Amino acid sequence: MLLHGAFRGFAGGAREVALNAANLGEALEALVHAHPSLAERLRDEHGKLRPHMALFVNEDDARLLGWEDAPLKEGDIVHVIPALSGG
Amino acid sequence: MAKKVAVLVGTKKGLYILRGDANRQKWEVEGPQWAPAPIHHAMYDPRDGSMYAAVNQTWGGSRIEHSRDMGKTWTTSSNPKFPEGSDRTFSQTWHIEPGHPSTPNVVWAGTEPAALFKSEDRGESWAIVQSLDDQPTRAKWVPGFGGMGLHSIAIDAKDPKRMSVGISVGGVYTTTDGGTTWTQDNKKTGGDSERPDVFYCIHKLLAHPEESGLRFMRVHEEVYWRDPNETTWRHSTAGLPSNFGFAAAMHPRDRRTAYVIPLDGMTRAAAPFGIGVYRTQDKGKSWQKLEKGLPQGAPLETLREGMHNDRLDPMGLYFGTANGDVWASRDEGESWTRIAQYLPYVTSVHAAMVE
Repeated sequence: MLLHGAFRGFAGGAREVALNAANLGEALEALVHAHPSLAERLRDEHGKLRPHMALFVNEDDARLLGWEDAPLKEGDIVHVIPALSGG
Repeated sequence: MAKKVAVLVGTKKGLYILRGDANRQKWEVEGPQWAPAPIHHAMYDPRDGSMYAAVNQTWGGSRIEHSRDMGKTWTTSSNPKFPEGSDRTFSQTWHIEPGHPSTPNVVWAGTEPAALFKSEDRGESWAIVQSLDDQPTRAKWVPGFGGMGLHSIAIDAKDPKRMSVGISVGGVYTTTDGGTTWTQDNKKTGGDSERPDVFYCIHKLLAHPEESGLRFMRVHEEVYWRDPNETTWRHSTAGLPSNFGFAAAMHPRDRRTAYVIPLDGMTRAAAPFGIGVYRTQDKGKSWQKLEKGLPQGAPLETLREGMHNDRLDPMGLYFGTANGDVWASRDEGESWTRIAQYLPYVTSVHAAMVE
């Protein structure tokens, strides 16, 4: 997984995390396991993924791939990106 | 060692710390920290020297940060959480308040949606005060212009079980048993508004730091004083150019003196009467404008957390403006100098007395 912008700071400066996961939900869980400080930055207290965050699998928006059910295969790169918001 | 003053300045794009010299004349500006995140409030806890900041960031959600080394390094707290099954989700923190001196590990936070959170580990983690959340009147709370938040936490000077909170729009709630039970507590005497008590938009509620039971309150359109043992709030706005405003402060020793910065209710700025700090020295019966050194007639804006005082003698008073200025008075408001400019929109000012 490749962390961008603010999410890199939330993970103590980590840029990338290599992990094994069958889908995006599993990948996020493994990411939090590797960097617990990301837990509350990715999800609210009810487990919902926060707004203003984009997830891409390689070049594709994960929302179009099934969001947390989006399947992953070896070599895929998941991007965690602060959504462009504001002006 | 002589006390100096550090002014924590929350802005719409990060936290700044203004560190003053021993005479409160020269100031060094540090920051910004966390820009471009908005900092709704930042405060210093004189009991142990900790600092706390409400970092209401879009990316990664809002959070509370704390520092144990005077702002050099910061640690992210565990978020305030609404309990499982709640229909509400923590959105942002509006105010952080040190607990009573007799409870040194307790810190309070007011949030949006309006709720009170308590930390018993110096801000490391937070738990909701369920008794306040269970108030039947909560169903009648509605958002004000800035949202629906609990923004004022007034800790009694002597009694650790007594505190009041202010909610926009929900009124004042007071507990005298440490938070087990709460009473709607903004019944008033005088004033023009005749709304139900729960529909009062409280703008700022303060407890005097030395006298038990003494409180001062800035409401949407009115200002109120309350002496110890009084059961209603006394309306008091004679001499103010408008009844509207947010910022308020109480003199830490003189128990008849308080300060407000009036704004126009429509423009939300000090127009057309110009920016000024207004002082009462008779418990709100009359108000006088203090503006020596301030830009004459300037239509500046100051928010709810925009004014605070130190506790030196003479008292220092500080306020920040939407155009990024911070103004200071070393003589209890009589005269003013600008101690920072060109900051982002100032959302909060907190004067900390440090070694």
